[in-house]
Amino acid sequence: MKGLGSEKMMGESKPKPEKAKLMIDARGVTHEYSRRDAEGNVMGIIQAVDGVDLQVTPGEFVAVLGANGSGKSTLAKHINALLVPTEGTLYVDGKDTGNQENVLAIRQLAGMVFQNPDNQIVSNVVEEDVGFGPENIGVPSEKILERVEESLKSVGMYEYRKQSPNRLSGGQKQRVAIAGIMAMHPRCIVLDEATSMLDPSGRKNVLDTVRKLNREEGITVVLITHYMEEAVEADRIFVMRQGKVALSGTPREVFGKPEILEACRVELPDITKIGLGLRRAGLDIPKVVLTEEELLSCVTGSGAFPEKA
Amino acid sequence: MIRDITIGQYYSVDSTIHRLDPRVKILGTLAYMISLFTFRDFAGYAVAVLFFALVLALSKVPFSYAARGLKPIFILMAFTAFLNLFWTDGTVFFRVGALAVTWEGLYKMIYISLRLILLVLGSSLMTLTTTPNQLTDGLERIFGPLKVFRVPVHEMAMMMSIALRFIPILIEETNRIMKAQTARGADFESGNLLQRLRNMLPLLIPLFVSAIRRATDLALAMDARCYHGGAGRTKMYPLRYRVNDFVAYGCLVAYIVILRAVVWVCPW
Repeated sequence: MKGLGSEKMMGESKPKPEKAKLMIDARGVTHEYSRRDAEGNVMGIIQAVDGVDLQVTPGEFVAVLGANGSGKSTLAKHINALLVPTEGTLYVDGKDTGNQENVLAIRQLAGMVFQNPDNQIVSNVVEEDVGFGPENIGVPSEKILERVEESLKSVGMYEYRKQSPNRLSGGQKQRVAIAGIMAMHPRCIVLDEATSMLDPSGRKNVLDTVRKLNREEGITVVLITHYMEEAVEADRIFVMRQGKVALSGTPREVFGKPEILEACRVELPDITKIGLGLRRAGLDIPKVVLTEEELLSCVTGSGAFPEKA
Repeated sequence: MIRDITIGQYYSVDSTIHRLDPRVKILGTLAYMISLFTFRDFAGYAVAVLFFALVLALSKVPFSYAARGLKPIFILMAFTAFLNLFWTDGTVFFRVGALAVTWEGLYKMIYISLRLILLVLGSSLMTLTTTPNQLTDGLERIFGPLKVFRVPVHEMAMMMSIALRFIPILIEETNRIMKAQTARGADFESGNLLQRLRNMLPLLIPLFVSAIRRATDLALAMDARCYHGGAGRTKMYPLRYRVNDFVAYGCLVAYIVILRAVVWVCPW
């Protein structure tokens, strides 16, 4: 890894004009690894990701769903060039992740928030942790201070800047992690089950922060999650099964196919389930209800009906 | 709370000494400690104690707080004092059974104890007035020139600061595992030393596994944030010498000059 960073990409990277049409462009991405037994003999080859095609446009909010072992985390690590496809290619903002020279540029463009809040914080002071990324890409000191301030404010953690991360709650830690990525001025954030270790209020805080960044700063979001409620508000959903994209579309399209979802061991959102139950019981309710308001308006008969899927 | 522990017991207060560049404090402490080995005269100790008192006053750290550092080395001090008192050849002036106390022994005991006390007080004053982060930064800069000889200075500093970050987390984890194993019938309290050590295994193995897992996670997260070693890296708060730091170096030199002069002039 050492010495890869060409000085050109280091330092200030201004938001570029739309160079590439797609933020993320995966073409037939396959990732294989061999499983070994205790003696190190190859037991078999596993295709964690198997020929995935996936396109995300800049500013999009995309959710990736799937059961454990469906390959969604492996796919996520490809977007940050932590893993490189064994077959196929993945472009982030037009840059091939397979090309070693692009790695640092890609990691700066597409930040990644991991599952465990404790294990991704490097420093024992909040603001110094946020400064870690900019320090790595060689941003001048005064600019780092600016960036740290601005990104801590954007996640609402500015007043904690001098504290130790050990004193923060899980949700706060994840917001610090997001700030650490925002300070690198990325165009895309990948959240790899970043809310799975949080309590409901922490989860809500983190998601609100992510949505705000998506809406206000046009950051592309790839949200990998177990929670259907989080996926409901995405622009598009990809459902993975055994390394392949089994289903994709808008939340309304995806949650309108409960049979395929069941095969993928992905559940429907609670509200959708309730809606389906009521529909079976004979109420006039569309097949896919995604939010509480929708369901309420259907039940009470007031308000606009969502289009029937 | 266990998560409140700070390594090196940083005493959080704003003072002239706290604001000094960590390099000044590290090099100053080192020079002070070396200076303590250059004399045996009581006049010299008077100068050294005076200098320490001056710095302590400037640092606004209460003496009782600074003296806490002496507690863990009390046994060592008592032991050295005892050895020096009874096992030094010279003119005997006092006898307890087979043990003889000599004038030379008495003298040696006093000055060695003084030296130990000042060594500990001096170094703990440094850790009391410098945050662990500043310390690692300072060390990285001081040893920076060693990079020419391929000493991984940056990597060592990074390891140190990560270790500091994870100590409270691992302590918390230890407690959690301990409780979990106690609930499963593990016994960490009874038995002789050997049994107790063996009983520690169900604690240590999960702890190591978890620490290694955390390390893997952290390495991945650091990679994802463009970490690629010390090359081309900038600092959010780069260390810069200010006027005060040069004044402090001046004071240090003055201390050494005065010390040498006093030791030279005074016969005792």
